[in-house]
Amino acid sequence: MSTEKLIRKIFFVEILKGMALTLRTLFTHPVTRRYPKVRRPVQPGFRGLHALAKNEEGKMKCVGCGLCGAYCPSKCIYIYTSEGEDHTKVVDRYEIEVLRCIYCGFCVEACPFGAITLSEHYEYSDYSREPFYMTKEKLLSNWDKYFAGEKGRRYFRDFWRPKTVDFAGADEQATFAKVRRK
Amino acid sequence: MNLMGAFETIVTPGSIDIAVRILIILIEIAIVVGIALLHVAYATYWERKVIGHMQVRLGPIEVGWHGLLQPFADGIKLFFKEDIIPANSDKPLFYLAPVIFFVSALSSLSVIPFFNGFVIANINIGLLFLFAMSSLGAYGIVLSGWASNSKYAFLGGLRSASQVISYEIAMGLSLVGVMMMAGSLNLSDIVKAQHNYPTGMYAVPQILGFFVFIAAAFAETNRLPFDLPEAESELVAGYFTEYSGFRFALFFLGEYTGMIVMSSIAAVCFLGGWTIPRFVTDVLPFLSVVPGIVWFLLKVYAFMFLYYWVRATLPRYRYDQLMSIGWKILIPLALLNIAITGFIKVMVEGLL
Repeated sequence: MSTEKLIRKIFFVEILKGMALTLRTLFTHPVTRRYPKVRRPVQPGFRGLHALAKNEEGKMKCVGCGLCGAYCPSKCIYIYTSEGEDHTKVVDRYEIEVLRCIYCGFCVEACPFGAITLSEHYEYSDYSREPFYMTKEKLLSNWDKYFAGEKGRRYFRDFWRPKTVDFAGADEQATFAKVRRK
Repeated sequence: MNLMGAFETIVTPGSIDIAVRILIILIEIAIVVGIALLHVAYATYWERKVIGHMQVRLGPIEVGWHGLLQPFADGIKLFFKEDIIPANSDKPLFYLAPVIFFVSALSSLSVIPFFNGFVIANINIGLLFLFAMSSLGAYGIVLSGWASNSKYAFLGGLRSASQVISYEIAMGLSLVGVMMMAGSLNLSDIVKAQHNYPTGMYAVPQILGFFVFIAAAFAETNRLPFDLPEAESELVAGYFTEYSGFRFALFFLGEYTGMIVMSSIAAVCFLGGWTIPRFVTDVLPFLSVVPGIVWFLLKVYAFMFLYYWVRATLPRYRYDQLMSIGWKILIPLALLNIAITGFIKVMVEGLL
């Protein structure tokens, strides 16, 4: 053992260095966020609770094509349609099991009409499974709650431009990943 | 008639004198225990605050202003918790163990001089009494480990037994230098001897002893980096794994009281107790107006802060490392300290 090493060992140089570090951090500002009191601002394009989009007339945009349900990796979207008057397709039920959803956003990407959306709302804990089974009515009211006005327009303009609106190729399509890159 | 006569023989001026003295002692005990328990409560708060900020967290902050009522919230919670006793435990020992631990920690407070003249029992073997009580505390730990009938608790108890016995020697020897310099085991006399000593505190000439004492005090109170008896990552919670509710609280209080007692021993034996060095009061005379208890508490708080600081910095030692530090480093160092102190005391007359 060299002399320097011996001296370092006798005087606990390493331990003293560590203690100096902890003393320094004692006077730095804590990084803790006091969550229920202080909330982080939600980033644009956040994938939270689902909502079914409404058009300008306040009608459901969904046509019941079932692409979202087909794409869904956890298969948690159930769509039931029937034939209405003058042979139009009527969406009877549109249901999402929120507890099974993994929030991948594939349904939003798949939808040709921009009908299914993921809102910025993420605080929806409850005591039973029932409130997490989203029916068509609940999903439509979610749109009114979380996408009222400019927010809803911005959602499709900046992040999820549906293919029926913009027939650009895959490279030009506005997607979540590209917004992040900007 | 007979009764009156018996009463008159009991109530003599002498017996009244004794009764008054007992009453005064009881009041002193009440004051000391009350203040000590308040200190224990806020020692936990302060520890969590200090360690929290050292780890860039906030620590307790919700209960009261900056979490100041947290100790009381914890106490109330522990008091109302269910008291679970394992079915196969050794019941009498299980009940007894936390009491032994807590009582031995609290009774150590009786010989500590808080300021000039304020000590519950001014006995001549104060230091020995402290050693005895801290060894007795180990009984509480070992018995709790044994009585719980749980392997984690048992391992914690065994570890604690060997650890406390090993470090007891180092701690006793580290204080021998102080005894030699002060020429007394009475803690008040040790403080007075330090006040008459040029440096005002024995930490300067007894730096080796002080270092050994700090390391041994950490081990004796089962604090990091020597908290093997209650190593969370190895033994769940160590010797008090099976304890819940208020029995657990007794262990908790005992541990923090033990820390305060160790800090008080450090303050009394090495840092000059309630006095400050004469050369300081010579330069700044107004400091001598400050009551002694303030200096004593400041020294205790500083040592407690060292406890927290080390806990926030150092990881836990391995068990063989713990033993080799105790037996191969601390005990030889303490013996060397005794030898040097004795040598200088003999060679240089009047220096020590």
